Amino acid sequence: MNVEVSTVTESLSHRMGAGRKPELNQSASVANGEVALLARLRQGDEGAFDALVTRHHSALIRMAMGYVADREVAEEVVQDTWMVVIEGLGRFEGRSSLRTWIFGIMIHKAKDRGVREKRHTTFSSFESADDEGDEAIDPSRFHQSGEWAGHWAFPPQPWDDQTPEKLLASQQAVTAMNRAIEALPRTLKDVLILRDVEGVEAKEVCNILKITETNLYVRLHRARERVRQAVEMYLEGRPSAV
Amino acid sequence: MAQEEGQPILSEISCQEIAQWASAYLDEHVRDERKRQIALHLAICAGCETYVNQIATVRDVVGMLPKAVEQPSDSQRLRQAFVARTRRSPSGG
Repeated sequence: MNVEVSTVTESLSHRMGAGRKPELNQSASVANGEVALLARLRQGDEGAFDALVTRHHSALIRMAMGYVADREVAEEVVQDTWMVVIEGLGRFEGRSSLRTWIFGIMIHKAKDRGVREKRHTTFSSFESADDEGDEAIDPSRFHQSGEWAGHWAFPPQPWDDQTPEKLLASQQAVTAMNRAIEALPRTLKDVLILRDVEGVEAKEVCNILKITETNLYVRLHRARERVRQAVEMYLEGRPSAV
Repeated sequence: MAQEEGQPILSEISCQEIAQWASAYLDEHVRDERKRQIALHLAICAGCETYVNQIATVRDVVGMLPKAVEQPSDSQRLRQAFVARTRRSPSGG
């Protein structure tokens, strides 16, 4: 048993935290890079400002879309956010990361705008429906009763080693994944974009969204599961549900 | 190593629970005891090993999706505002 455990643990362990630098080093390097970036911004380095905008603009728009009625309003919200950033740079004290500060401004502005557009009732129904409520994974995939209750009735079929490359090379697969991401409720989309698309470390995502790490992982897993389903449907040649 | 309050580890966790814990497990956000339970289960359950691997693939691939590089519709105005602010502040000289 011990031998088996260590074998499987090794085969999966290379995937644990895969593709990411160790978090401590990552935060240290981000912090160092950020001090330099902030200094350049405060000196009026236009190149640094362009780089900052290019780096975060798409994710800001994508997230803002979850709070407001349409793309045009989202662009206004993000444009306003950048204006606040420009005005606030001199006063920014670095108590949070630059990114946490910028995303925090956007969320504040987007919520404000969303409330003014009377979309706040939609927010609360989103949040109660998609936070802690139902199972992340379709319960019908598991035996519901008897000796095997809680075990796979319809286990996932293994993907081969080339799957990541194949998915990224296929326009159809990329579209299916992007659609699945866009179709996520806001609370799930926010965590997936920040954590997996932008690669923001877990603690910082929690700071930006003001949620606990437990909550983060509940949401993140639901989001990943929905994308996994989209990939599964694509690989099995089934039309996507979204 | 101390026993965890004498609870049988293998029967403590079902495939359905593993499936709920997959992301936290992959990102190493589970307590040692839970991590051991999951590792033990994965050692004997091909379905769960496949599932956890698929979630890891999704996590990695989502980070590699081609990103639309978008610019603000009014980037000229932003840049002007940035330059103007710098001129107002002493460090912008």
